[in-house]
Amino acid sequence: MIVRIEDRLRRPAPADPMRKPGGDGDDGPSSPKVNRPNPNDLLKRMKRVDPDQARRYRQRSGE
Amino acid sequence: METIFGIETEYGIFVDGRDPSDLVNEAIHVVQSYPRPAASPWDYRGEDPRRDMRGFRVGHLTHNPDDARYDRPAERPMSMQEERSDRILVNGARLYNDHGHPEYSTPECSALRQLVAHDKAGERIIFDCARRRSASPESAAVTIYKNNSDYHGMSYGCHESYLLPRSVPFEAILAGMLPFFVTRQIYTGAGKVGAEVRPSPIPIFQLSQRGDFFSVETSVDTLHQRPIVNTRDEPHADARLFRRLHVICGDANLSEYATALKVGTTAVCLELLKRDWKPPVTLENPVAAIQNLSRDQSWQWLVNLEGGKTVRATDVQRLYLEAAEKQLGGDADEDTAWVLKEWAVVLQALEHDPLELADRIDWVAKRTLLEQFLKEEGLDWGDEMAQSLDLEYHNIDPDQGLFYGLEQMGAMRRLVTDEEIERAVNHAPDTTRAWVRGEVIRRFPEAVRTASWNKITLEQQGQITILDLNPLAAGLDPELRERLDAIQSLTEWVRLIGALRPDA
Repeated sequence: MIVRIEDRLRRPAPADPMRKPGGDGDDGPSSPKVNRPNPNDLLKRMKRVDPDQARRYRQRSGE
Repeated sequence: METIFGIETEYGIFVDGRDPSDLVNEAIHVVQSYPRPAASPWDYRGEDPRRDMRGFRVGHLTHNPDDARYDRPAERPMSMQEERSDRILVNGARLYNDHGHPEYSTPECSALRQLVAHDKAGERIIFDCARRRSASPESAAVTIYKNNSDYHGMSYGCHESYLLPRSVPFEAILAGMLPFFVTRQIYTGAGKVGAEVRPSPIPIFQLSQRGDFFSVETSVDTLHQRPIVNTRDEPHADARLFRRLHVICGDANLSEYATALKVGTTAVCLELLKRDWKPPVTLENPVAAIQNLSRDQSWQWLVNLEGGKTVRATDVQRLYLEAAEKQLGGDADEDTAWVLKEWAVVLQALEHDPLELADRIDWVAKRTLLEQFLKEEGLDWGDEMAQSLDLEYHNIDPDQGLFYGLEQMGAMRRLVTDEEIERAVNHAPDTTRAWVRGEVIRRFPEAVRTASWNKITLEQQGQITILDLNPLAAGLDPELRERLDAIQSLTEWVRLIGALRPDA
């Protein structure tokens, strides 16, 4: 099943038991308010990727 | 879970117009661009990466012969301290150049959300350093990747450290963790387009960035002929009381959820070992299994056991989960309860529809995104664009990286807030000895001569004092922290900490 980028946006973010709910100060911080970018922005971002980048990417061996 | 853990990440670095021979210098420049007060140098005395948990010390560590071709005689010989350019930060972390990779080691943490926040803080700090370096007149654009492979045969690590009692025998660690480490990549893997160590005749998408690079079961080596279970015996604590399990077989995760699950499940398994539990399985060939699982395009993820049976990787993982539920589920703390719940959910999804995990597991998120794009553009997995998109998933620039694009769309589960990450950039966990390290550097910077994980060398009025942090290796007592926090005098800090017993 291929999930379209737009479909993924429509799914509600599930409640995560590890994240404490907002409320009084002891319950932990609440989620940041973010302006949700348009999914087309991500597609544009991907189209800007240089197809050559992985070919040019060379690293030193690490641990 | 009662343990202390941390993550050290070697970041990939690309600088326009530079080749691999330049990367040591480029990584030094990035690290030296760190703008805030920090202590330096690192105190390497007492560190011994050649000591092996099996009770011996090797004569030398194995180096990658293919990497040696990039060594270039330095215009001016550098000392190790200059080359490493260590910075010890006020949040208790360590930032330095490790052989051409900017490396960030989180401070010691005692809770999963804390660790996730500090791992993410490392991304922010390294990105800020790279941005500053890019802006300098003598530099070209610097791009940083949180990944483990350059698609040309080189790999670099994201290592986890777990504090364990010395009483847990090495043989128990090896037998207990080998099946777990081989199979956990089904949810910890960051995904990779292609393969170069054993090139594939057809385009493939692997589970893991690192899977191809493990060629032995156990060894003290980390640079070449890498082992699934690293036997380095360097506890950075009282070696009579503790050992540190140094895990090198994991991928660098961008997903907060994946990072928490990777470390959480590992910590839970180690808790089982502390209780003398042994897994009832032995893999027939762990090295072949870790490579084959990563490359399995069928997603059956089968592993062969000693004795001839073949099972699924999820079956192996379930053995650990079920033991953990039985032994730890009754009075589980918050972290353990989260791990047990999410581990079960993830294994269920992996057995029925792995693509359900696109909002939390890095390999699934990446594969889903890339497959959609390739299909819409009329490309396939063998096209060079696929690998470049793979790389861009790991770009830590929030305006360019594809993981960050997904997160900004709300497509990725989060465990911590940006405020928590920002706090972690500037403050150490207050539950571990990292708090002492960070606050000494913040409050008494002029007195710090050197620092390391377990000691700080201070100089006051010509007098040298070594602040031994070993008694705090297993955690920082809240009452002691409050007493220290209220004291303005470094002399009093030294007296209070110096009075601690070794097993405090």
